[in-house]
Amino acid sequence: MREGFVAVRPALIATFTWGLVTGVAMVKSGLSDSGAALMTLFVYAGSAQLTSLPLIAAGAPLWLIFAAGLIVNLRFLIFSAALQPYFQSLPWHKRLTYGYFSTDMSFVLFMPRFGQAKVKGTEAQRAFFLGTIVPGWLAWQSSSMLGILLGSFVPSAWSLDFAAVLALMAITIPLANSRPMLVAMLAAAITAWAAQGLPLRLGLLAAVVAGIVMGIWAEKAFKKKR
Amino acid sequence: MDQTIGQVIANDGYLYAAIGLLALCTLLTRTTYHLFGHRIPLSDGVRRALRYAPAAALTGIIVPVLLPWSSPESMATVIDQRLFAALVAIWVFQKTRNVLLMIVGGMIGFWVLRAVIGLW
Repeated sequence: MREGFVAVRPALIATFTWGLVTGVAMVKSGLSDSGAALMTLFVYAGSAQLTSLPLIAAGAPLWLIFAAGLIVNLRFLIFSAALQPYFQSLPWHKRLTYGYFSTDMSFVLFMPRFGQAKVKGTEAQRAFFLGTIVPGWLAWQSSSMLGILLGSFVPSAWSLDFAAVLALMAITIPLANSRPMLVAMLAAAITAWAAQGLPLRLGLLAAVVAGIVMGIWAEKAFKKKR
Repeated sequence: MDQTIGQVIANDGYLYAAIGLLALCTLLTRTTYHLFGHRIPLSDGVRRALRYAPAAALTGIIVPVLLPWSSPESMATVIDQRLFAALVAIWVFQKTRNVLLMIVGGMIGFWVLRAVIGLW
């Protein structure tokens, strides 16, 4: 467990900053303090929380909030498929707990170390994983709560809800790491702008569909050229 | 987003339902494979779609905040401090690769530009 903690320690500053911004942004987007606290405790997913804020503020339908939350969380489906062999020997409630508390950082730190391991699912491997997720959870929750507290003191005139958009941009920009991905994001951007007139924030859904279709199309188009 | 500043979401039931559903998103995406193993196949096509969907969704959330229409009927787009502050933030991020500096730089850009536009 110690080994995991040592590995995750440098990343905790980022987690802390992130939680602080999310905490402030939740309150400044109109959530009540208790609503924001509940959200951070149970949802425990920064990108999904930040994504949901403009939707909740606009009164978007619940199914769309759910769909958007699923889509930005999809990466965890891929992460957990890769992590599953390391935990499969455990009883279901432990697998559920490990899964629920896993983070991007735990995956990023775990796989390079144990991805090629001959035996998958040793006690030492799971202890390492636990060593990364426990401090991560503590850093996230404490900083979010601090952010919620700060958020109720900061005047609304500072427009700190804009910090949520900046934080989302910080997640989004590094994703643009290939030409098909750039095409997908450009298509999503144009669609999202052009579909603002649609009711219920349905333009978001249109943007996702356009992004996927154009991304896959661009992948094929660039392959053919080569 | 700016129109909603300072106004607390009135409907508690709606907010709690949204929180419950988002918690369910967390649970579903992080635990399905742990609970059910590899009985759910991830085909190549699905994997590919999964790669583009999150980036498209995040872009789809950000763009209408930076380039909002002046009203739901009019495509005339409001260009104000939000767009320019976002460009400042992108520039800071490219230079420093530091998320905290990006957010601070973007907010300072926002405040300065809002003041300048206000004076105009």
